Amino acid sequence: MKTIRCYLANDTSSRASGAERLADVWSERSEIQLIRTSSRGAFFLEPMVERDTPSGREAWFNVAPDDLPRIVGGVGGTPITEIPFLQQQTRFTFANFGITEPLALDEYQTRGGLKGLAAVQSLSPEAIIEELRVSRLRGRGGAAFPVWKKWQVAQQSGSEEKYVVANADEGDAGTYCDRMIMEGDPFRLIEGMLICARAIGATSGYIYCRYEYPAAARAMRFAIQKAREADLLDCDEYPFDLEVVIGAGSYVCGEETALLESLEGRRGVVLAKPPYPAESGLYGKPTIVSNVLTFATIPNILANGGAWHASLGTDGSRGTMVLQIGGRVKQPGLVEIPFGLTLQDVLDRFGGGMAPGSRFKAVQVGGPLGSLFPESQLDIPICYDAFAEAGAILGHGGIVVYDDETNMVELARHFMAFTADESCGKCTPCRIGSVRGREILERIQSGQGAAEDLVLLSDLGETMKATSLCALGGRAPYPVLTAIEHFPEEFRRGVRARG
Amino acid sequence: MWGSTSRMLKKSLFSPAQPRLAETLETCRPAPPEKPNILKTLLAVQSALGHVPASTIPQIAQVLGVTDAQVAGVLSYYSDLRTQPPGRHLIRVCMGESCTANHGVRVLRAIRDHVRVVAGDRLQAERFTVEQMSCAGNCAVSPTVIIDEDFCGRVTPSDVPSLLEPYT
Repeated sequence: MKTIRCYLANDTSSRASGAERLADVWSERSEIQLIRTSSRGAFFLEPMVERDTPSGREAWFNVAPDDLPRIVGGVGGTPITEIPFLQQQTRFTFANFGITEPLALDEYQTRGGLKGLAAVQSLSPEAIIEELRVSRLRGRGGAAFPVWKKWQVAQQSGSEEKYVVANADEGDAGTYCDRMIMEGDPFRLIEGMLICARAIGATSGYIYCRYEYPAAARAMRFAIQKAREADLLDCDEYPFDLEVVIGAGSYVCGEETALLESLEGRRGVVLAKPPYPAESGLYGKPTIVSNVLTFATIPNILANGGAWHASLGTDGSRGTMVLQIGGRVKQPGLVEIPFGLTLQDVLDRFGGGMAPGSRFKAVQVGGPLGSLFPESQLDIPICYDAFAEAGAILGHGGIVVYDDETNMVELARHFMAFTADESCGKCTPCRIGSVRGREILERIQSGQGAAEDLVLLSDLGETMKATSLCALGGRAPYPVLTAIEHFPEEFRRGVRARG
Repeated sequence: MWGSTSRMLKKSLFSPAQPRLAETLETCRPAPPEKPNILKTLLAVQSALGHVPASTIPQIAQVLGVTDAQVAGVLSYYSDLRTQPPGRHLIRVCMGESCTANHGVRVLRAIRDHVRVVAGDRLQAERFTVEQMSCAGNCAVSPTVIIDEDFCGRVTPSDVPSLLEPYT
């Protein structure tokens, strides 16, 4: 019997949804050869099995072990090009997902990888940074700072030692694109970091990966070794090395100064800026800290030119945005689209509506520090400016939908408790404010709230916003205050009950 | 997680962990001009011993050339560093936003109930440690439960007994 090549994702979420069980059960079957790829990000269809056909790949969705005869017989498959969730996306950074074997450097190269790195060999550091300026790329970790400005500061420093650090401490709840990149296309991150190293003259690089991502750390270490063996790291006169460092479960280590403290082995406490890490970062040397997604976006920019990137998206938000849809939607998964589509469109076209049996209540964009939006405010376009104007953030692109069974007071308490747990303790508004905020919400939750508690909460929130050292304390009040703003009745009930 | 700790602590003090600790610490000793890295060292110790007993702080500090307080400070700061040994299997239930939206708290309750029942047996008490965690990054297939290093997605309360069964 002829062996059929089948493709099955090896991503953590694919495995968590049953892919590993398929691989185990089918490992002895001689009729198929199972290729483990990255995931396409259409997680609602996982475990998804694909096979080659003369007209391209076909896929079987939510596969169980006894579906094998149908797949081998070619019965009931759907052409990949006819999956609306994927068809309506514009994939550049995630172009390889679901297609390649993550750790196959040759496949990465065949599909256009390393072109950006090749392009910078003939460019001066200034010319690389100019290309980024033209691209108008802004950091994708949450702060949305123009990438070229950071690089320029580090490049112009005369220091002999400089560092490039990938922030892979993806702590924002509802986000997983960095994990997917590290597990699914690790050479893209390496290429982006190498381009940065060339531009600023860095001597070594670190990938600070959170403890919760063991598979990502393994994949990165393996990919770095392969890149080293292929002489990609040490390029002519530039010696460079790359190391994966594991964090230990501190959310605030996603903030760049705290991350660098942690990288040096200390408590991950936020430092006052300036000096910015680009001037004085790791061990006091100029350091570029950027999010994994930011680095992964860079190879295409250098391969296709900054103008290409700037031609995508909206005025203040160029390029594509990677959204990660989760919560109570029918179709959770990863979406890469140019900036500009409204939140409503994203939820309709990609989210596919609510999970069976549930009704929409609110959506949170931008992780645990992001604002909540009720149904009446979903016409906001996905871009930095519109969100900033609304006092909201896109953050790292997490979108979490809550259904009508969600208790907003409990949710608000959950947010404040999160900040109280994760506060590094450096600044008073965050350290103490989050605890007081949680206590007030617990009072309201138990029906013991006083009439002035909501005023107090709002006052506390404004103080935290204005005076916290970093975004954890500064943004923590937003989900709480937007919950009160849009669902005031639920909070008033906890206050009134005291009588 | 703090339930049966005194017995566990005794066990760890009298276990033959000392040579392994010394061995691990040797690999973390900084060679000048290299600077000591406390976090990396503590993670290495945890990986070798399963946890970082508070009694090891002076020895760690001495090898790294830092103060006991610096080591204790780092050890108490990071939630993934543990000073008490976990059960044979560590169950982490994700309380991130997507899991919360998908009512992961019901899964947590089911796991706690289940483990409490099996924990009636003295030996079973050492079998599981149950913890909540913030986002596991597995949001598209939430609610998520991680048992040791195995990620389980779309977990419902009724899945819990069969989910835990293989972990003896």
